[in-house]
Amino acid sequence: MLKTFFAFSLCTVFWGSLNAAETAREPINDRYCTTCHGADGRGNEGVQAPRLAGMEPWYLRRQLQNFRADVRGVHPEDREGIAMRPMATKLTDASIDDIIDWVSSWEYVPAEATIDGDPARGRNLYSGCAVCHGGSAEGNESLGAPALAGQNDWYLLTQLKNFMAGYRGAHPDDSYGAQMRTMVNTLRNEAGILNVVSYINTLSR
Amino acid sequence: MSKQVTRREFLNLISAAGGTAAALKAGSALGLLPNTAQAASLDLKAANASSRKIAILGAGLSGLTIAYELSKVGYDCTILEASHRPGGRIFTIRHGDLIDEIGNRQYCQFDDEPHMYFNAGAARIPSTHRNLLAYCKELDIDLEIFINENKTSYVQDDALLGGKPIRNIDYTTHTRGFLAELLAKSLDNAEMDQPFTDAEAETLMGIISSFGDLGEDHLYKGSFRAGYASGGFLKHGVQKDIIAFRDLLKTPMGRQLLNANEGDTGPVLLQARGGMDRIIQGFTNHVGHQIRYRSMVNAVQVKDDGVEISYDQDGSRHLLQADYCFNCIPSHLMTGISNNFPSQYINALKYIRRGTAYKAAFQAKQRFWEEEDIYGGISWMNNPSNQIWYPTAGIHKQKGILLGAYDYGNGELHTAMTQQQRIEAHLTDGEKIHPNYRNLVEKPITIAWHRMNHMLGCSARWERSRSGWTQEEEELYHHLQQPVNGRHYMIGDQVSMHSAWQESAVMSAQWALADMDQRLRVQVDE
Repeated sequence: MLKTFFAFSLCTVFWGSLNAAETAREPINDRYCTTCHGADGRGNEGVQAPRLAGMEPWYLRRQLQNFRADVRGVHPEDREGIAMRPMATKLTDASIDDIIDWVSSWEYVPAEATIDGDPARGRNLYSGCAVCHGGSAEGNESLGAPALAGQNDWYLLTQLKNFMAGYRGAHPDDSYGAQMRTMVNTLRNEAGILNVVSYINTLSR
Repeated sequence: MSKQVTRREFLNLISAAGGTAAALKAGSALGLLPNTAQAASLDLKAANASSRKIAILGAGLSGLTIAYELSKVGYDCTILEASHRPGGRIFTIRHGDLIDEIGNRQYCQFDDEPHMYFNAGAARIPSTHRNLLAYCKELDIDLEIFINENKTSYVQDDALLGGKPIRNIDYTTHTRGFLAELLAKSLDNAEMDQPFTDAEAETLMGIISSFGDLGEDHLYKGSFRAGYASGGFLKHGVQKDIIAFRDLLKTPMGRQLLNANEGDTGPVLLQARGGMDRIIQGFTNHVGHQIRYRSMVNAVQVKDDGVEISYDQDGSRHLLQADYCFNCIPSHLMTGISNNFPSQYINALKYIRRGTAYKAAFQAKQRFWEEEDIYGGISWMNNPSNQIWYPTAGIHKQKGILLGAYDYGNGELHTAMTQQQRIEAHLTDGEKIHPNYRNLVEKPITIAWHRMNHMLGCSARWERSRSGWTQEEEELYHHLQQPVNGRHYMIGDQVSMHSAWQESAVMSAQWALADMDQRLRVQVDE
């Protein structure tokens, strides 16, 4: 009986990764986040994984769903997105709920500044951003714009560059991403991106 | 008349041809320079009652070395291990084992037999890695020989002879023959200008001739070294046809093939019988009770008189106070853990890049390679799967475990694929050597070290250029090797100049122990 079951299970899982016996072996769930995103989700520059602690639940959910649906993390130049997507692909709705609960339990601690730009120039550039993300970069759920203050600056740099280059936000189902792709052009170039993120570093929520 | 060369001139000559390293080795052989060191012999001072608590972060080989040595002299060690298993990148996979890749969790389906295992990480021990071998001896680990270069294994390149695989022995015999013929010609032509005595020149020609199995005319006309086309035992052997040098030059694979038995992978290599994790078991037999599994470090705070570690286990947060801390958490993960390290120390942690090595394995339904005279060793392919390793475990049994891909330097290619894409790639690559491969193998597993939970990388990469260590890299390395406040040591092969070897992990741990011991002795003297 056991043999029959096992033979059957092997046939069905040759190309897959799951099998029925797995729950008996290791206690598992989908709470993998902190391996990459650092202790208490405070981000890890070493693997370029951003801060999750303090991220709004609605924004986290949308991004996990985008990764899972191949809306984000598919462009070959989006290295960090490509690293994220296979994990999100495996998530069920229940594990997304569980992860959001878990992330909400982490204390929000603003990230340290690691970049050297010109915040004064960045301040002027930020006025366009403030319309959606708020004057203190505190975010605005009704506009679908996440908080930027307190996020790792190296992550913001990468994402703004990705929006500008079309590595992020180019998927037809990513309407918020499309807005960002339009708006990011007001920053003009990498120097503009550096300056605006330097300004965001001065804000707190 | 040729003039005699002095020993010093001979050294200079070798130095000009081979660089300083060649001169150092030759000098050692001539008894001018000291030989390399013996295995370290640690003579650690016994623990003192008021300062004996040790925290070890990570149950990899370096962490276990620390626990083993310090337990011997009375320290109270606690090992925090983030994953469900000890050993880190010394990982032998058997029936039922979890391969905890982020986003691609796998369970090994190999048959449950003692010889059906796969060394997904460390797999070879050079006989000169004395410190590791000393532990193998002390811990009674059963070792056996590992075969790296196998002359009957295959070489395959789509550009070579229409993609038809040839035997390693055909490639290497003919390539050596042609290289020797070139060398012999250059020696013949330049004989008068050579700074050798007649006797030396004669010896050199003899070596060249033997290297390539040249005829008396110093020409290569094929060799029985490549085996026989027919006969050879009860009848005279018939020599195989030569493969033209121009054809052999269609593949660049000689760079790997002629290097397989050199340097770190030169004979003799050893392995632990039954799987490399037998070494880890040797340590855990002594210190396994000290390991707290599924314990993820959250913060490391170095204090004046010790180190405070906060970690999560079973859904709650714990605090561990220690007098000393030895940390083999990968540098790129340590940067995501709260700490109060000095900024230059953090810069060093951030500087190291993570390795991308990738391996895959199949269970073979029958040991088809043994029917082709292959017992162990490596077949080389000029495609992304690159290597097939044949097991020495279980010779002449029904089944065996094959390594189906090994990409040390550029594993991101396969890492970025789905599991199904990876397996299809290895089947497509492998069937270029073994035509029925697809039907002969089953139960695949893949190990993308870049995505393994609690690892996210293979061996540390310090050097960013091929021209060697920069001064900045040297400084960061030496900074990271030094303890923070004399209390917190980073260890592991990442804190060595020769990462990816178990010996480096062991030696980094021994360096830290010796440093701590020296500091303690100074304190006592004061």
